[in-house]
Amino acid sequence: MDRERALHIYATMNRIRKFEEKAVQLFEANKLRGSVHLYIGEEAIAATVCSQMTDQDYITSTHRGHGHAIAKGATLDRALAELMGKATGYCKGRGGSMHIADLEKGNLGANAIVGGGVPIAVGGALAQKMKGEKQFTVSFFGDGASNQGTVHESMNLASLWKLPIIFICENNGFGISVPTWQSTSVKDVSVRAAGYNMPGETVDGNDVMAIDAAVERAKTRALNGEGPSFIECKTYRWKGHWTGDPETYRTREEVASWMERCPIKAFRAYLLKNGIAQEKELDDIENAATAEMEAATEFALNSPEPDPAQVMDDVFFVG
Amino acid sequence: MAEKVIMPKQGLQMTEGTITRWIVREGENCVSGQPLFEMETDKLVITIDANVSGKLLKIIAPEGATVPITETIAIVGQAGEDISALLAQGKPSQANTPVATPLVVPAVAPAQAAGSTPIPVAAPAGPVYATPRARLRAEEKNMNVEQVAGSGPEGLIIERDVLAFTPLKATPLAKAIARQEGVDVSDATGSGSHGKVTRTDVDALIAARKGTQGTRHGTLVPYEGKRKMIGDKMKESLYTHAQLSHQIKVDMSRAVELRESFKAADRKVSYNDFILMATARALMDFPVMNAELTDKGILQKDYVHLGMAVDTPSGLIVPVIRDADLMRLGEISTCAAELADKAKHGKLVPTEYTGSSFTVSNLGMFGLECFVPILNTPESGILGVGKIEKQPVVFNDEIVIRPMMCLTLTYDHRVTDGAPAAQFLARVKQYLENPFLLL
Amino acid sequence: MSIKTYAVAIRDTIAQEMRHDDKVFIMGEDIEVLGGIFGCTRDLAKEFGTERVRNTPITEATFVGAGVGAATAGMRPIVELMYMDFTYVAMDQILNQAAKIRYMFGGKAKVPLVIRGQQGIGRGNAGQHSQSVESLFMHIPGIKVACPSTPAEAAGLLRTAIRDDNPVLFFEHKALYSTKGEVPDDPEFAIPFGKAVIKKEGKDVTIVANLLYVSKALEAAAILEKEGISAEVIDPLTLVPLDIDTIVKSVQKTGRLITVHEAHREGGWGAEIAAQVTEKAFRYLDSPPIRLGAKQCTLPFNLGLENAVVPQVDQIVQAAKQSLYR
Repeated sequence: MDRERALHIYATMNRIRKFEEKAVQLFEANKLRGSVHLYIGEEAIAATVCSQMTDQDYITSTHRGHGHAIAKGATLDRALAELMGKATGYCKGRGGSMHIADLEKGNLGANAIVGGGVPIAVGGALAQKMKGEKQFTVSFFGDGASNQGTVHESMNLASLWKLPIIFICENNGFGISVPTWQSTSVKDVSVRAAGYNMPGETVDGNDVMAIDAAVERAKTRALNGEGPSFIECKTYRWKGHWTGDPETYRTREEVASWMERCPIKAFRAYLLKNGIAQEKELDDIENAATAEMEAATEFALNSPEPDPAQVMDDVFFVG
Repeated sequence: MAEKVIMPKQGLQMTEGTITRWIVREGENCVSGQPLFEMETDKLVITIDANVSGKLLKIIAPEGATVPITETIAIVGQAGEDISALLAQGKPSQANTPVATPLVVPAVAPAQAAGSTPIPVAAPAGPVYATPRARLRAEEKNMNVEQVAGSGPEGLIIERDVLAFTPLKATPLAKAIARQEGVDVSDATGSGSHGKVTRTDVDALIAARKGTQGTRHGTLVPYEGKRKMIGDKMKESLYTHAQLSHQIKVDMSRAVELRESFKAADRKVSYNDFILMATARALMDFPVMNAELTDKGILQKDYVHLGMAVDTPSGLIVPVIRDADLMRLGEISTCAAELADKAKHGKLVPTEYTGSSFTVSNLGMFGLECFVPILNTPESGILGVGKIEKQPVVFNDEIVIRPMMCLTLTYDHRVTDGAPAAQFLARVKQYLENPFLLL
Repeated sequence: MSIKTYAVAIRDTIAQEMRHDDKVFIMGEDIEVLGGIFGCTRDLAKEFGTERVRNTPITEATFVGAGVGAATAGMRPIVELMYMDFTYVAMDQILNQAAKIRYMFGGKAKVPLVIRGQQGIGRGNAGQHSQSVESLFMHIPGIKVACPSTPAEAAGLLRTAIRDDNPVLFFEHKALYSTKGEVPDDPEFAIPFGKAVIKKEGKDVTIVANLLYVSKALEAAAILEKEGISAEVIDPLTLVPLDIDTIVKSVQKTGRLITVHEAHREGGWGAEIAAQVTEKAFRYLDSPPIRLGAKQCTLPFNLGLENAVVPQVDQIVQAAKQSLYR
């Protein structure tokens, strides 16, 4: 991995972390409507995977999609504005946290229906293949979604048609309260890949380098027209499923132990250890992320509400 | 070329007429010689025929309008003609028309004027829309929903319009009086047929109101139209003529017998016919009573146009038996009957109620023994007739019972003196007491 | 009689029914330890164990289908959908399977299945989690549809639903879960399907509303009362079977009808009721029935936008006046 991309990944992880922390703050200050599903603790996956992608490569995301969106090029200000339902948000305040999309950056949208985005990702990959583009698609979904029928149907179809898609299962151990062992019939979700005739592997979702290596392999396969791959990234959701989750289904100790394995800290250590970056550089990146987040907050707070007079716009495309 | 239709002068003394009905509607065609409109003078309704054929382009004076004679009331012409010039000329003026006859007041009947009813009645021009519920309510009230004015969008008749609608039946006079007195005619209890509110009911209402209010003002009847005309004429009569009266009593025994004989022969002759005949004959004997003082002198007429005063529902009118001197009893009888009937139905034409030279006024049917009439100006004599009543009289120094009748002659002393007038009256008595002389 | 929240009334009824009949069980997402995200199954697993109170994977289509099968095989399953918006995910199992099995098998099979869950606006959950979907299920034959608006109705209608041998879709409202009311303690307390309730009597205009809109209709009625307009508010309680007679009788009296619901206006259940009333009470109508419902627009996330889409109390007031040509 070249230094530039490494630093980019580090910056992205920090930006995601700052964004999510700010989101929690704003929610608790009653400045956000609905709730937010936080990616804190899982940043390595989005940041690493998307660092291998161009704007023409697609992703589909989930209700826990801030990280994917930011990693795929969303700016913090417009993303936060969308969380606050403002007119300047990515979806003009229409979608909120769970539905951020940015087609210019190849983000085909976050989906609030669990597993709902996976068939859409398959469609994206199909389009890429049919247009003969040298692009690929990544479908992010969780361990909970991995049991959804639509996910299985999608895996089957993608394999059948050799679509340039990578199924990234972010296994963070829980649906909402239901742990994976209670919902999922296999320990490693990636074994299902074999059932659909595609390679599958399980990696440490908090290890940037491990993720990157797997993505590299899958990307090559996809761009060579060899079809889909399945990468299971084992990680952990630090916060509750949603802001306000009482988390009665797990222990504080378990959470604490995973927080020790913070992906940002781990990657910082890696970068320093291998002489890829200096402390100061990394501090600057962190501070820059903080500053960017503050500016984004200002922007979002001061942005206007959308005009109810326009509520009926965009129900249909009018050409 | 468009032509004006004017208010035509009908009758010597007419100065204004009131249009009561346009027989041809604006936009329709009229034919020369065919009825065009109806109008009223002195409470008589006259049908006027069109003078020209064409399309009735514009009605200037609508129904109910009172228009001085010769003023334009409509325009007849060809479809699409430009009539703006004619319209500009034809504006009815307020001034009296220059006719040098004593005033005839406009015969406006306020109670009959169109559009004066307080109830909004929908003018049905096109389909009438009512909600189903409104129709349901109308059915329950046993009425036609289309009578009701709709307050819904685009005139839709809705439930509350029907619930609030009260079809009011009241006579025109009742409505007029109610309006005059400032009471709501719908507050009166109708005693007429089907609960119709009559004048009496309104009077009762007003009286009751006064009773409760503690004030009594009397009833105000409009002094206009025919009433005023009569009033003015009567005033004029008293101002103009030097009039005074003679009275005489007539033994009608022989007239009674003659009448009976006629009856037996299946012929109807009334006492009044005898009186008219007798008067006509007597006038020929005493032409001075059949005269008129004009500004050129005393005109002694050589014809007898005998006016007979008739009381009609709309007031006093005097139809005229023209050339009564030339008539036999039978003709007088027929003519009198016809005229009386026409008078009662308001169907007299002007020639039938103008031009009398002498008038007979019989109030016997009201039980009056005798009364003193005043001259029907510009005539010089009028005979007032009382009732025929069996009375004790002296005949041959004995008291006998005879049917007696009192005649009162009012005459103009400018034209003749007391003696000739007395003689005339005596002659009338003679004819009546010897009726064979009339045959 | 006890004062309970709508959520607790539901929970207690499920518990009572599970005690009453061994064949009753409940499955759904996060219902075991968590007790359901709105607490409707709190502590049930403690009393009845995890065989009868089952967490499911996030597989609506599959676990609704399992409910259909279990019901056909003689159990009395209750399936909790976390959001009734997710019925869409299980549409085939609901409309092609549950609704049709009895009919297509010649009347030999029964599907005593209850699919229950919440729906509606109120928590900023955006377009896919805020819908009102009950109208869709009025359309396909073979399913009953119940919508309680008070804690007592939640208890009484749920009991009837659980004991009904037919598939019932039971629509709760997320904004009603914390509302409180009197609920009879009697474990046999049941409210029959197909009986509409007149929640306020009136004589000038009939307003039909359900779920969250019952209280909004009553609010509007109070405002109208001050302006001299007497509104009658009716809650149908169940859309299938529908008590149209109570509504028709009301319109015969008042002459005017307004239907108001959170669901979209076009093709909403209000349209069905308006059509039936027009058929049955045409002569009595003084104005055309007025339907109020959400605009034909996906429910937006922003609160101001959302309020611009769903009917508001003053719109109900205006509609009433409009029906009276005021």
